[in-house]
Amino acid sequence: MQTLRLGPVSLTVQRRPLIVGIGLLFLVALAAVAALSIGNYPITPVGIWQALIGRADAISSMIVLDHRLPRILTAIGAGAALGLAGAMFQTMLRNPLAAPDIIGFTAGANAGALLAVLLTGGMILTGALAGGALTATAVVALAWRGGLDTHRLILVGLGASLSLGAGADLLLSYTDENTAADMARWLTGTLHARGPAEVTLIWVGLALLAPIALWLGFPLARMSFSDDTIAGLGLPLAPLRLAVTALAVALVALAVSVAGPLPFVAFVSGPIARRLAGNGGPALSAAALTGATVTLGADLAARSIPMVQLPAGVFTAMVGAPVLVWLLWVQARKGRL
Amino acid sequence: MVRNGTNCRLRAEAISVDYPGRPVLDSLSLDIPDGKVTAIVGPNACGKSTLLRALARLTPVAGGQVSLDGQPIEKQRSRTVARHLAILPQSPLAPEGLTVLDLVRRGRTPHQSALSQWSRTDAAAVDRALCLTGLKDMSFQLLATLSGGQRQRAWIAMALAQDTDLLLLDEPTTYLDLPHQIELLALIRKLNHDTGCTVAMVLHDINLAARFADHMVALREGRVRHQGTPSEVVTTEMMQDIFSLPCTVISDPVHGHPHVIPA
Repeated sequence: MQTLRLGPVSLTVQRRPLIVGIGLLFLVALAAVAALSIGNYPITPVGIWQALIGRADAISSMIVLDHRLPRILTAIGAGAALGLAGAMFQTMLRNPLAAPDIIGFTAGANAGALLAVLLTGGMILTGALAGGALTATAVVALAWRGGLDTHRLILVGLGASLSLGAGADLLLSYTDENTAADMARWLTGTLHARGPAEVTLIWVGLALLAPIALWLGFPLARMSFSDDTIAGLGLPLAPLRLAVTALAVALVALAVSVAGPLPFVAFVSGPIARRLAGNGGPALSAAALTGATVTLGADLAARSIPMVQLPAGVFTAMVGAPVLVWLLWVQARKGRL
Repeated sequence: MVRNGTNCRLRAEAISVDYPGRPVLDSLSLDIPDGKVTAIVGPNACGKSTLLRALARLTPVAGGQVSLDGQPIEKQRSRTVARHLAILPQSPLAPEGLTVLDLVRRGRTPHQSALSQWSRTDAAAVDRALCLTGLKDMSFQLLATLSGGQRQRAWIAMALAQDTDLLLLDEPTTYLDLPHQIELLALIRKLNHDTGCTVAMVLHDINLAARFADHMVALREGRVRHQGTPSEVVTTEMMQDIFSLPCTVISDPVHGHPHVIPA
């Protein structure tokens, strides 16, 4: 552990999480370059560079700057937001199953976004925020029995998630074909045809919320103890839980409004990041970078299959489902389920 | 009663705690003498753990108040309280993958913030806690790989790193074998002697409590029935009253403390 000191300010940096962070950053950059170059119209890294500095031909410029770059930036932003939200929630509830996409927050934000678009033709973020917040409140209220039991929360959340998914399907079946095709991303999550609006929304949102999330990382690193220990250390449990929940809901709503639910990204990022960082902490930055990598990789895989436009959500689910099965198995073996 | 002239920073003033359907503490008053080791004893379900938790503001009181330095404890900022009072709950749980050093460092939480994560004072306090508990050489070991006695010492080191004058311990010897119980209680005695900190702990074993405590408090049905020095408290009458256990109390031939021999 290294300490950076400046007057009364002191920050700690641990070697392994730092190396992991740099490695993941490199991986995201690598995936971004690959995603910029691979496609129906392959472009070399040199071609990409020329397009970025404005020295490429019109077609290359258009493909890189108008098509691929917004899509990649949206993927990175949405993945990071989901990874961050997932890691915060899993740490707070001390259970890897307690991720926003398992306990219904993502499905709620998703249904809210869908409803907002169908009713008003816009207001996606508002719809997603309202849907996510309502679902979070309902799930916590339903799971509450004089206290919050994580296992009951997960079961209630799973139920809410499935019902809201079915509700979203139902909504979609009442709309006309053209709208329904547009809406498809709110069922599986896709990054197809993202533009500057989505890029701005997710990155401005991240710029506002990520610093708060990282600041909460300090108490969160202590929230994996039991409630008594946390209270004994003088941390205000209830306000912290409320802040973490609100922030996670906002991050999920943000990601959902630009990319749809992208199943399992929030859920897999935390456990992967914590195992990589290996310091028993919440590994928030590593989780954000893992979320970005997974989403970018899934979108790249989705685009690489010729002739069909598969949504990225299909691939994040393909990564996430085995991890879910594995975690369930581990927990069952430890007798915690 | 506590002797005149002894100061008591931590006091329970007629506190009542109810669990659904049953009163646990019934208008209980108790002063924890400064600089002494106090042992709270009593039969199962007499409310001794609840009392300790209420003193540490972990369990809210339904009536009366706990006061720290003359102020109601629940009116003070939890973080401020945590700089004066540390509590080690019964069988605490730690996240996986934590080393001894990681754990002990967490004890500095009430002195830290997101912008002051590791001051020189923090480093010194953690070092001191590791030295006092003899864990310096095991700093980098994973908590999960330690023996029960070592792990309990690591938790005590965490509470020590908090650098408080008051240390509350809820059954610190649970799940430890006799040699480790003795080792741990001797450590607590030594800490009290070396640092002058006030210790209040819940103990099951009357004989160990009589040997390692300065002050004993015996509870039954949510009330303080006896308190004083071990010789004043540990008597045949007390054992009959508190535990309904017929017994003989002798003077321990080695240390001279009262020693209970059940009939």
